[in-house]
Amino acid sequence: MNKFIIRRLIQAIPTFFGITILSYFIIAAAPGDPVSILTFNPKMSMEERQQLAARLGVNDPIYIQYLRWLVGDDWMRWDTNGDGLADRAILIPLDADSDGEPDPPGERRGILRGDFGRSFVYRDNPLKLIGERLPATIELNIATLLVSIPLGLTIGILAAIWRGRSFDQSARILAVVGDSVPSFLMAFGLIMIFGAPTLNLLPMGGQCAPVRGGCPPIYQRLEYLVLPTIALSLGGIAGWSRFMRAAMLDTITSDYVRTAKAKGLNDRIVWFRHSARNALIPMATFLGPTFVSLLGGATIIETIFSWPGVGRLLTQSVTAQDYPVIMASVVIGSVLTIVGFLISDILYAVFDPRIRL
Amino acid sequence: MKNFSKWLVLGLCLVLLGTLVIPAFAQDEGLGAGEGGIIITGNTGDDPATFNPLLANDSASFDIVQWLAPAIFTINPQTGESEPNIAGGLAESWSYDETGTVLTINLRQDLAWNDGTPITAADYLYSVDAIRSGQIENSYASAFETMADGTPAGGKIVSVEAPDPYTVVVTFSEADCVAFESVNDIAIVPSHVYQELYGTDYASMMDDPRSIPTVSFGPFKDIEFAPAQRVSLIADQSYPDTVLGYVSPEEWVYLSVPDENVETERFIAGEISILAVPSTRQNDFRTDPALADFQKYEFTGNGFTFFAMNTADPNNPQPGLDEQGNLIPQTPHPVLGDVLVRRAITQAVDMDAIIEGIRDGNGLKVATHTIPTSWVYNPDLQYKFDVEAAKALLDEAGWVDDDNDPATPRVCQNCLYAREVDPSFEGSPLELRLRVPEGGEIASQMGEFFKASLDEIGFSTDFQAIDWGSAFLPELTGQTFDMALLSWSLGLPVDPDVTDFYTPAVDVPGAGFNFTSFYNEELNQILAEARVVPGCDPEARKELYLRAQEILFNEAPYYYMYVSQSMTAVQPNLQNWNPTPYSRIWDTDAWVLLDQPQ
Repeated sequence: MNKFIIRRLIQAIPTFFGITILSYFIIAAAPGDPVSILTFNPKMSMEERQQLAARLGVNDPIYIQYLRWLVGDDWMRWDTNGDGLADRAILIPLDADSDGEPDPPGERRGILRGDFGRSFVYRDNPLKLIGERLPATIELNIATLLVSIPLGLTIGILAAIWRGRSFDQSARILAVVGDSVPSFLMAFGLIMIFGAPTLNLLPMGGQCAPVRGGCPPIYQRLEYLVLPTIALSLGGIAGWSRFMRAAMLDTITSDYVRTAKAKGLNDRIVWFRHSARNALIPMATFLGPTFVSLLGGATIIETIFSWPGVGRLLTQSVTAQDYPVIMASVVIGSVLTIVGFLISDILYAVFDPRIRL
Repeated sequence: MKNFSKWLVLGLCLVLLGTLVIPAFAQDEGLGAGEGGIIITGNTGDDPATFNPLLANDSASFDIVQWLAPAIFTINPQTGESEPNIAGGLAESWSYDETGTVLTINLRQDLAWNDGTPITAADYLYSVDAIRSGQIENSYASAFETMADGTPAGGKIVSVEAPDPYTVVVTFSEADCVAFESVNDIAIVPSHVYQELYGTDYASMMDDPRSIPTVSFGPFKDIEFAPAQRVSLIADQSYPDTVLGYVSPEEWVYLSVPDENVETERFIAGEISILAVPSTRQNDFRTDPALADFQKYEFTGNGFTFFAMNTADPNNPQPGLDEQGNLIPQTPHPVLGDVLVRRAITQAVDMDAIIEGIRDGNGLKVATHTIPTSWVYNPDLQYKFDVEAAKALLDEAGWVDDDNDPATPRVCQNCLYAREVDPSFEGSPLELRLRVPEGGEIASQMGEFFKASLDEIGFSTDFQAIDWGSAFLPELTGQTFDMALLSWSLGLPVDPDVTDFYTPAVDVPGAGFNFTSFYNEELNQILAEARVVPGCDPEARKELYLRAQEILFNEAPYYYMYVSQSMTAVQPNLQNWNPTPYSRIWDTDAWVLLDQPQ
C-alpha cells in the first residue's frame, strides 16, 4: 500500500504541471484581454493602459507569463545598483511599459514559492479571495451530500427490493425529474413557493440575516440552508439512487446471495447485510470525486440564492479573464482531484479485500 | 375666588396640553438620530474591490466610498449641475482668472473628518500627489496623470497648489470648458491618516485594497464587510450636511443579490428598501394592484443605447493619427463606409416597435449623442421610419436588388467601395455582421429585430450574441466589427462634449473609443472651439453643440436608439424620500423606515 501511494504521488507531479501548463496556455490564448475588460472607460489614456498591461504582464509571451506565474519574475528583472529601478533583465524588457524609463525590479516569486500573485480585478491574493468564500461552499456542499447520499442510497436499495412496483416506478420518475429539470428553474420555483411570495416559510436568499456582527453558528440559521440544499440535492439523489439500484440488482444474482437465501436467512438480512454491503463497494470510486466536489462551487445556485460561495467568484474570474484567480482555482482543483482519486483507490482496496494495491 | 381657581386650573391644563401638542406640530419628519431603521439596498454586481477612495474603479466600490469621502464639487440634486455649498462638497466658491487657465477654488472652512481633523486643501493635494506618482491604479484620473517628463499624459492639468489651507489653485495647460469637471475625478482622503499609513509609498495602498477606513466624512462610517454577502455601514452623527440635522437611518446595508429577478422579489417581500426596477418589471409596478403601495419614481436616464457602425475597413483597422499627429487615411468599410447606407439603416428600423414591443414602452427615442436631459438637446432631430425611403437610399448608394428576389441580398453595382477602393468588389452581396453582448434577453431581441428589419430592405445580416470579454470587446475595440450594440452612461453633470468618441486622436485600434473610425473635419473644429469659448458662455457653446448634433445626425456613425425610462421604487413605509431626476439617494440621511420589516 505505501509503495502504491508513493508511486501515485510521484506520478502526480508531471500530471500537475501538465494541467497547469495546459490551463494557462488555454486561458492566456483565449480571445480578448484582461486590460480591455478592466479599462473600458474613455477617460483612461493610452499610456495608462500600456502601464497597466506592463504591470500585469499580459503583453509578454505566454510562456513568459507562465514562468512568471510558476517561479516568479524577481530573477527576470533586477536592480544591481540599489536605485530602485531595474538595470538588468533577461527574457523580459527593462522598459515593459515603454515610458522611456526602466521598470521597477520584478517582485513576483511564483506559486512554487507560495506567491499566487494578485487578482487583476480585486488586486488581492487569490488564495485569500477563494478562502473567504470556501467555508460557505463547504457548508452547502456538506449539507447537500448529507441529504443526497443517504436518501439516494436508501431509495436505490428500496427500489431494488421492490423492483417493478410503484415505489420503483416513482423512484425512476424522481430520477428523471431530478436530472432533467434545470437547477435555476428548480431554485426559482423553490423560492417562489416557500419564500415570501407564497408560503413565506423560508428565507429567499443569503447565508444568514443581513445584520452586523456576522453570521451566527450554523445551527441558528439552518433555515437559510434548506432551499439551496434541496435545489442542489435533487440531482445527487437521482444519481445515487439509480446507481445503487443497479448495483443492488447486480448482487441479487450472485452466488453468495443465493446461498444466504438457501440457508433460510430472512429477506432483510439478505438485502441489507449481504447484498447492500457488497453493492456499496463500487460507491467507493465515487468518494474521491465527491471529496473534490466539496470545494467546487455551484454557480447557478449560489447566484439565485445569494449564497457567498466560490462558484460565483470563479465564474466572474473567467468572464473578467482574471488569470491569477483562475489559475489558483486550477491548482486547488488539480491537487484535490489527484488526492481524491488516490483516496478512492485506497478505499476500494480497504472495502474489498480481494483488491491488492 | 372659586371662578378664579377654575380658570387657573383650566389655564394650567391648556398650557400642559400645549407642551404636548405644539412640539408634535413643530417636530421634524424623523424619529431621531439613528432611529430611522436599517436601509438595505441590493447589489447585483461583484463585491467592491476596494474601500480606498483613491483606488475605486468599479461601480460597487464607488457605491461604498460615496459615503466615506467628500468631493471637491458636488452635484445639486435639483439641477444636476456642480454648484458650491452643496451637501458633501468642499467648494464654497470658485473662479477662473482672465486667461481661463487658472481655477481658484475656495474651500468651506467648517468641515472636518469624523476624528475632528479639519478637511483642508492638503487632503486634496495628497490625492493629487498619489495619482501623479503613477504608483496606484486609477482609471478615472487621467487628467492628473503626467508623463515622465512632466507633461500631462491624459488631461490638461499642469499643476495643483494650495497657497493656504482653504484654497486650491489648479492650472490648466490651456483654457478648456470641459476640464473643469476633471478636477473632481479624484477622491479626497484624510491626508493625516494616509501620511501615517503610507507616506509617499503610495503603491503600498494596493497591498490591502480592502483595508477598512478608520476616518471618513459622510453620513455613514465603520464598514463591516462580509465577502459575497454584504457591506454594512452605521450612521455617522458627526456628519454636518444632513437634511434633518442628524443622520436618521441606523445603518446602511449593501446586500449582495446577484440575480435581478430575485432582487425584485426580495424587494416585494420587504427585504430590500430601495430598488432600481428592471425594465421588464416596470409595467408590473405601474399596473399590478398588488404593487400599488410601493412608492415609485420614474425619470429619464442619463445614458443611451445605440448600434455603433464601423465606417472603416474591419479587415485593416488603422489608427486615426500617425506618430507625428497627421491624419491617416482610412479605407472605408465596404458597406458602412457610405453615409447613404448608414442613413438607410437609420430609416429601416421601427424604433417605436422596439421601445413598445421589446422594452415595454420604457424608452425615449434619440437620434444623436445627446440625451433629453442635456441642456443642448435638440428634440427636432428624429429618425424617420420609412422602409421605402431606406430602399431608395440603398439604390442611390449603388446597392441594387438585381433579381427582384426578396430572399437574396442586394448587390453592389457601382457602390462606393467598388468605385473608390476595389473595382472587383462589384457584384458583391450586401452583407453585415450584427453583434450584441451575450446574456441580455433584451439585447438579443433587439438584435433579432434589427436583423429582420435590415434583411427586409435587402441586407444579408449575420446576427450573433457573443461573450463580452472574449469576443465582443476585442471586436469592438479592435475595430474588426460591422455593427455592435452598446450603451453609454454619461454621468453627471451631463456634458455635451463628445471629443472622446468621434475624433481621430481617439481612433486607436485596441484602445481608443472612436471605434467607428468616424472623422468629420467640421465636427472636430466645432468640438475644439466649444471647449475654449471665452468664459465658457453657455449660449455660445450651445450653438456649437447644436451644429455638432446635426452633423452626427446626418453622418450617423452610430444608430442612436433610445434613452431608458427608469424607475426606482422604495418600500411604502419609507418616509422622507424626495427623489430627483439626478439622484434618488441624495437625502438618504433623512430616511425613516417605519415599522422595520423582519
